[in-house]
Amino acid sequence: MSFATAPSVAAKSPGSVSGIGDAWQMLGGLKILLPFAVLVAIWWAIKAAGDIPDNLLVSPLQAWNAFVHLVTYGVMAEYASTSLTMLGIAAFISMAAGVPIGFAVGVNRYAAHALEGFLRFLQGISGIAWLPLAIIWFGFSHTTTLVIVIYTLIVPIIFNTMIGVRAIPEGYALALRSLGAGRLRLILDVYLPGALPSIVVGLRLGMGYGWRALIAAEMLVRKGGLGDLIFGARTFGQIDRIMVGMIVIGCLYIVVDRLIIQPIENLTVARWGLLQR
Amino acid sequence: MSLQTTMIRLPALPGVSGLAWRLLPALPFVLVLVAWTLFWAVFHPNKATLPPVSDVVEVVWARMRDGELPAQIAASLTRLCLGAGVGILTGIVGGFIAGLNRNVAEFLNPLVVFFNAISGIVWLPLMIGWLGIGTALAVFVIWNTVFFIVFQNTVLGVQLVPEVLEQGVRALGGGRLETIRSVILPGALPYILTGVRSGLGFGWRALIAAELVGAPDGLGQMIFAAADYHRSDIIIAGCLIIGTIAIAMDRWLLIPIERRTIARWGLVLDATRKS
Repeated sequence: MSFATAPSVAAKSPGSVSGIGDAWQMLGGLKILLPFAVLVAIWWAIKAAGDIPDNLLVSPLQAWNAFVHLVTYGVMAEYASTSLTMLGIAAFISMAAGVPIGFAVGVNRYAAHALEGFLRFLQGISGIAWLPLAIIWFGFSHTTTLVIVIYTLIVPIIFNTMIGVRAIPEGYALALRSLGAGRLRLILDVYLPGALPSIVVGLRLGMGYGWRALIAAEMLVRKGGLGDLIFGARTFGQIDRIMVGMIVIGCLYIVVDRLIIQPIENLTVARWGLLQR
Repeated sequence: MSLQTTMIRLPALPGVSGLAWRLLPALPFVLVLVAWTLFWAVFHPNKATLPPVSDVVEVVWARMRDGELPAQIAASLTRLCLGAGVGILTGIVGGFIAGLNRNVAEFLNPLVVFFNAISGIVWLPLMIGWLGIGTALAVFVIWNTVFFIVFQNTVLGVQLVPEVLEQGVRALGGGRLETIRSVILPGALPYILTGVRSGLGFGWRALIAAELVGAPDGLGQMIFAAADYHRSDIIIAGCLIIGTIAIAMDRWLLIPIERRTIARWGLVLDATRKS
């Protein structure tokens, strides 16, 4: 799975030894920025050399000005916070509802077998495909966006929780049970830690799908959010706003993925690890 | 450890007939159908809000017969094939170039992480201006989605091939090309296929999203246009077809390919332990 590629790549950054380590890290930072500098230079060169009109491509400077404008007037904060709030609420609800459902299904082999195909099928129907129906049901509102994103997030979470619970060797549960542990104890000491790595994988995959579904839903619902920002800018031919919006979307997703989800994943794997050694 | 590869097959228990066990997966579908029918019989909601099951079946049947539905499916699948084909090809070639050269990989990695974060439909507003509404737009969006996933997985797969194997072929007099063909390609293949499978999943979603606003036809456009006329029956039918195609693609195309590769190039066990 593609998301599994990220941690191994990130892990290769130079280790921090005090003193020399700081210099290394600065160099590492430059190394990350260099490709973007090259990209911006190419972007600028194309704009300058091709004599491209502003309604097709703006220069990096114009994009930067648009960014400053959007930030100083608070527009960017408004749109970005709408998107992030939506994603946060959706992630919270999906985890709060999806994990218990996944457990309930996972501990019973019949339920798991019965639901596996159904969940696969639901996963095949992307959340965004339900958008037209959601618009009919809930109108052009935040509810519509939220329903779509929750649907997108919750299916992988339920599925992976279920898979995680099923994958726990039965011996562990039997061992605890023979020592007199109750159902709750079993869940807390065996199933939860055992399934956690899988749950986090589900969350991460769900976030990948969910973030895209959110942007797409915002484009069509047009009630705020970064998707609305870039799609609205299109109607007025404001390429600078579109490009700024895209860059912000990318940066925010990387921040959410790297600073929130990946640390959780690393913690879980390190603590209850799938790592054999 | 992917969503798809962690699939587990549970053995049938003694006492439960094999047939019942095999029919069990149909149960949720039946339950939903029953609940839907009962709900409709009791509350009689507006047909525009929730159509009865029979309406959905009828609309599928009618559209199948007049050839509209097959045409829309064909339009969507053509775009998927084009976009995914180009995406897979460029992803593998690019992934090999980056995977075989550490400097290139390190230079490209930040860019790949960033562009992967905005892959797919985020490009829609910009690309509508550049490419116009139509097949080129949808193909671009799919290419964009598939490429980065295949690329990242190919790079990982190439980098994880044990150097010993490479040196073995070298020592026996194999050239650079020979090494790539007989060691690195088979070694990386399982990863590449995981990337392709995952990429197609994202690509299919991106296609539907792109078609909602950026295509004159296709399944996404069909359900989006239906919303204007409050034709819930068409929307639900469309969603069910979208899901069925996704499942069919995975089950009859991607899983068999993956299985055959794993059976043939046994390296995958080794590779999973390393990751």
